[in-house]
Amino acid sequence: MKVLMVDKEKCTGCHQCELWCGTEIASTSKELARAINEEPQPVSRVYVEGKPFALQCRHCESAPCLDACPNGTMRRDPETGLIYVNEPTCIACWMCVMVCPFGIINPSSSLKVAIKCDRCRSMGYPICAEVCPTGAISLVERKDYRKKKF
Amino acid sequence: MRYIIVGGSAAAISAVESIRSLDHESRIDLFSDEETPLFSRVLLPYYVAEELSKPLLNFRTSDFFDEKMVTPHMGVKVTYVNPKDKTIKAADGKEYAFDKLLLATGGKAIVPPIPGIDKEGISTLKTMADAEKILNMKGKRAVVIGAGSIGVEACISLTRRGIKATLLEQLGQVMPTVFDAEAAAIVQQRIEDLGIEVITGEKALKFTGGKHVRSVVTDTRELPCDMVVLSVGVRPASELALQAGLTLGDMKGIRVDDCLMTSAQDIYAAGDVAETYDIARNTYFLNAIWPCAFEQGNIAGLNMAGQKTLYPGSYRRNSIGNFIGIPAISMGVTHSDACAIQSDEDEFREIRVRTKDSYKKLILKNGKIVGAILVGQTQKAGLMSILLRKQVYVADSIPMLMSDRLSFMDLLPILRRNADQFSEPEYKELMDTGL
Repeated sequence: MKVLMVDKEKCTGCHQCELWCGTEIASTSKELARAINEEPQPVSRVYVEGKPFALQCRHCESAPCLDACPNGTMRRDPETGLIYVNEPTCIACWMCVMVCPFGIINPSSSLKVAIKCDRCRSMGYPICAEVCPTGAISLVERKDYRKKKF
Repeated sequence: MRYIIVGGSAAAISAVESIRSLDHESRIDLFSDEETPLFSRVLLPYYVAEELSKPLLNFRTSDFFDEKMVTPHMGVKVTYVNPKDKTIKAADGKEYAFDKLLLATGGKAIVPPIPGIDKEGISTLKTMADAEKILNMKGKRAVVIGAGSIGVEACISLTRRGIKATLLEQLGQVMPTVFDAEAAAIVQQRIEDLGIEVITGEKALKFTGGKHVRSVVTDTRELPCDMVVLSVGVRPASELALQAGLTLGDMKGIRVDDCLMTSAQDIYAAGDVAETYDIARNTYFLNAIWPCAFEQGNIAGLNMAGQKTLYPGSYRRNSIGNFIGIPAISMGVTHSDACAIQSDEDEFREIRVRTKDSYKKLILKNGKIVGAILVGQTQKAGLMSILLRKQVYVADSIPMLMSDRLSFMDLLPILRRNADQFSEPEYKELMDTGL
């Protein structure tokens, strides 16, 4: 499957991806000027942290969040392999948060759902990659590291 | 190949999925004590709170058994296991032969021998029948005995239905197996803020009333009530294993090897009934939690279907969810003294950071994480979980791990020096970024 990769040389830490993800994906108004004042505050699914680097859900091959979810709310799209939260059934137990090795699932107390990147599965192309001004974020084929020797 | 699975919850269903990922043809028979298939026990408090209706308790769709070509025997108890002849007897009077058997019989709620315990209006909360009983109980006041995860959730669920609830715990704090005293104090305050009376350090001595319970008497007081929920803990349902002569552990769970096979060839155990090696405690332990059951079912299933797969071990993980308004997550041991000592040279360290709304604690043994508690700020809890699971040395990275700005990318140096343990593609591809 394909995964999002970030070129650390190109990522300047400008947070454009967070801004667009928070507006286009998370907000109800879809307009930045309004999204800023929305309550509850829209939550971006991409995190630009530390040394500038945009981190999203890695859509793990063997995903702990799928095993931990007690009611099948966390699902894998059989066609694309993408993992997504079926928000209407999420009971906000935060078991997925507890096991995500990348810390990219947000336990939203106000929205009462677990919020994570589904790589814009209903839009066709991830918005973070589309809006990155330096082209640091791109969609590439996942390598099979397990067959490789280290 | 003929597979038989005894049990119908997380471990059993996970095993069905992993068997079917390798073997698309063989017969699978699944026996469960429960009449209702595919419901999630974790969600029973939500059912009691009338927040989820019965169909929404399912963790797999109702066509699961058809799709996975499983013959379900719901409400049919397995009464006898013959490990020599490889057969089982079920309550339907029939005998079934197996090549591979999985015992995923789960746990049973403990009913303490308190005088008056058989009065009406007193129930545990473990089975669907329990949940329905509690849901149909009438009255205005409830006492919940035992402040573990289920007790706390049951108490809040009853409160949400307008019932005045009291939470009674005989130890000195709420959730004593999940949190240390400091985290428990934050959680207790939150529970009290919901209008629940919390009494710790007091024991229920008897129940009064005629046919129906009217009060709970403790060492120092009498608590009038119309209903009582018992949540003092679970014990492994290892009766079948005992009858079959399988080796049990010190905690009376079924002892399994690192492929989750029991002491009998071709008989496996997984979930709340299995006593597995606990990574954090460094000894065999019962970790009766959903994620462990799911992982163990998965690995037992792979081994049963012929793909030898090692189980790295279990460790406790609890999340209190949105019940108290703030997230609170705990894993591994809550105190360093819960670890089995290997040698006099074992070195333990506890590191704590407390702010007004949050609390974070790490417990290290010989520089490796064996326990973590996070209250308030929990989004990075999974980072601690993976470092605990892989048992890598982190003692030189404490300020980074305790920082509230911790990011996964900060862990890359730790991952790189333990690259052989982080061979999954998700880790490798981020290591390749050169950060």
